[in-house]
Amino acid sequence: MVLNDADREALTVTGVYLGSTVRSATIVVCDLAQVCLENNTRGFELMPISSALERYSWLREQYFFKALPADLDETVSRCAKEVDPLGFFLHVDKGVKIAFPVQAAMYMKNEDIVQIIHNVIILEEDSELQLITGCLAGHEIKTGTHIAIEEQYIGKNARLVSTMVHAWGSEQFVYPHTGTVVEEGGRFESNYVSLRPAKHFVSNPQSWLIGKGASAKYLTVVLASPGSVIETGGTVYLNAEDTSAELAHRGVCTGGVMNQGGLLVGVASCKAHVDCAGMLLFCGEGGYIESVPGLRSMHPDARMSHEASIGKIAPEQVQYLMSKGMEEREAISMLIRGFLGTDVEGLGAELDGQIAKIVEVAGHGED
Amino acid sequence: MSKSNGNILEIKDLCVRVGTEEVLNHIDLEIPDGEVHALLGQNGSGKTSLMMAIMGFSEYEVTHGTILFQGKDITESDVCERARLGIALAQQRPPTIRGVTLRDILAYFFRNEDNPEKKISGLAVSSRMESLLDRDINHGLSGGEIKRAELLQLLALSPIFSMLDEPDSGVDVEALSLMGELINRLFTFDPDHPVHRKAGLIITHCGSILRSFPIDKAYVMVNGQIGCSGNPTILMKHINNFGYDSCIRCMGAR
Ligand SMILES: Nc1ncnc2c1ncn2[C@@H]1O[C@H](COP(=O)(O)OP(=O)(O)OP(=O)(O)O)[C@@H](O)[C@H]1O
Ligand SMILES: [Mg+2]
Repeated sequence: MVLNDADREALTVTGVYLGSTVRSATIVVCDLAQVCLENNTRGFELMPISSALERYSWLREQYFFKALPADLDETVSRCAKEVDPLGFFLHVDKGVKIAFPVQAAMYMKNEDIVQIIHNVIILEEDSELQLITGCLAGHEIKTGTHIAIEEQYIGKNARLVSTMVHAWGSEQFVYPHTGTVVEEGGRFESNYVSLRPAKHFVSNPQSWLIGKGASAKYLTVVLASPGSVIETGGTVYLNAEDTSAELAHRGVCTGGVMNQGGLLVGVASCKAHVDCAGMLLFCGEGGYIESVPGLRSMHPDARMSHEASIGKIAPEQVQYLMSKGMEEREAISMLIRGFLGTDVEGLGAELDGQIAKIVEVAGHGED
Repeated sequence: MSKSNGNILEIKDLCVRVGTEEVLNHIDLEIPDGEVHALLGQNGSGKTSLMMAIMGFSEYEVTHGTILFQGKDITESDVCERARLGIALAQQRPPTIRGVTLRDILAYFFRNEDNPEKKISGLAVSSRMESLLDRDINHGLSGGEIKRAELLQLLALSPIFSMLDEPDSGVDVEALSLMGELINRLFTFDPDHPVHRKAGLIITHCGSILRSFPIDKAYVMVNGQIGCSGNPTILMKHINNFGYDSCIRCMGAR
């Protein structure tokens, strides 16, 4: 299968640009096949997970189903049943700092596909990588199931910045699960954005900060529109001293169901904060936002806090911006964009488009 | 223009309610083109309410009377329409907006310019406010910084009628001279012709703004009504000497 112009265009809504000069490497899975692999940069390997398993026996022994044990939950055990899994293996050598992001796309081009993915990402000591992952359904595609697990290993003082953008069909089921192990001084930053919701989406990324000074930061930005059930969580185990974690959820609800969770587990002296913020614009039939940020402290020196807020757009903020000459819809757009707090590179037009739709639903869209 | 009688703003018999409370009672006010007037008055007398009502904030519900701007009845216009006619307000207590920066708002103002970034930084440098550009709107800003951020936005908007709600309250001595300079800039069409000014309305308690910025006329507000009006320096002096009690007695005698 070859990607045509329409496919290439489709990928751009998730920030994946084929042929771009500002990407270090590219891998694309389309439906049930891998269709594209480009790597012009030294210092790291990018290959299909199946090839990597053949080539490196240590991969299975040390990393494959180690961050996420095969019997962890339904999602993981479903992936473990695949004999010849789709997905990629990405390995960055010690001390290598990759200048431009690596991009990966998991593309569901046709109706009714069940796509099962397993990715393994390893950053050796002192390395740095930005990863952009786009997971999406093709234009006008409604059905299908996407199950994906990702195991990430961040070595001593290494840093991974992962930006994941999802764009789904309205009848799709999407169950991603990421497990991340961070060693001493390592850092993991995750930005997740999905403004084209699936019918059912469940994500509870887990990370284990196992070395002194390791840190993790998650920003999850999602929309729940009518007919969708969006469950976003996140569990961070702060197992070593001086570790820190920040978990932030930003959700806009225009009629679906949104569950925001997140659990921070302070096993050692650490600093951690979880923040759930929901903007409820319209409930529709049975729509709601429920926020349950959680803390579990197992150490007297764990400094942990959480906050949650749910509300509509504040009228005094809208009027304030209008008093500066903005039309009501311009003011609301600016407030929603600010609330979502995300400025993912290469995603400006897509964000604007989705925010414009949200503004319509906010009930202020009339001309 | 013909209907405006040379007045940029005319307020006739205006009554305003906030929630269930009448905050302005039968206000009449005329501001001629090119003049800047001041509003004095006790805390809670209704000064801010008058400005919010002129700007068109919907919380300040006009129950009676009219507001004319350049002869046009704007009583029913929404706040955006009024802003686009050239009315602007530097608020006493503007809201905090997380995720939206001063730069975002300035970028909106300059969206049709060739080089908006250059305009923004030029303005920020000349008003010494670079450090505030990337802060969320009013989030964690000090009282004085809020005043400056509001004023910066007005300078960028360059309105034909500016309202400043207590620009000189809580501003330190050094910043006060900067504020004076910026306010002068805001109301000046052409630095070579300083007499020819844009119109506006300024609320002040301490009157320190009067020292760096000449004001044409002042009013005293008492309990949602306008009492005496006249020369700003004389009024200010009188209030400093005899307090607002004398104004309240004077109003009561009417
Ligand atoms: N949003 C509001 N909700 C309830 N009451 C209000 C509101 N805005 C104004 N008021 C009331 O209206 C009256 C006038 O308030 P306003 O803010 O106009 O006074 P002010 O003259 O500007 O006072 P200050 O000098 O303290 O700034 C006060 O009694 C105030 O409590
Ligand atoms: Mg006031």
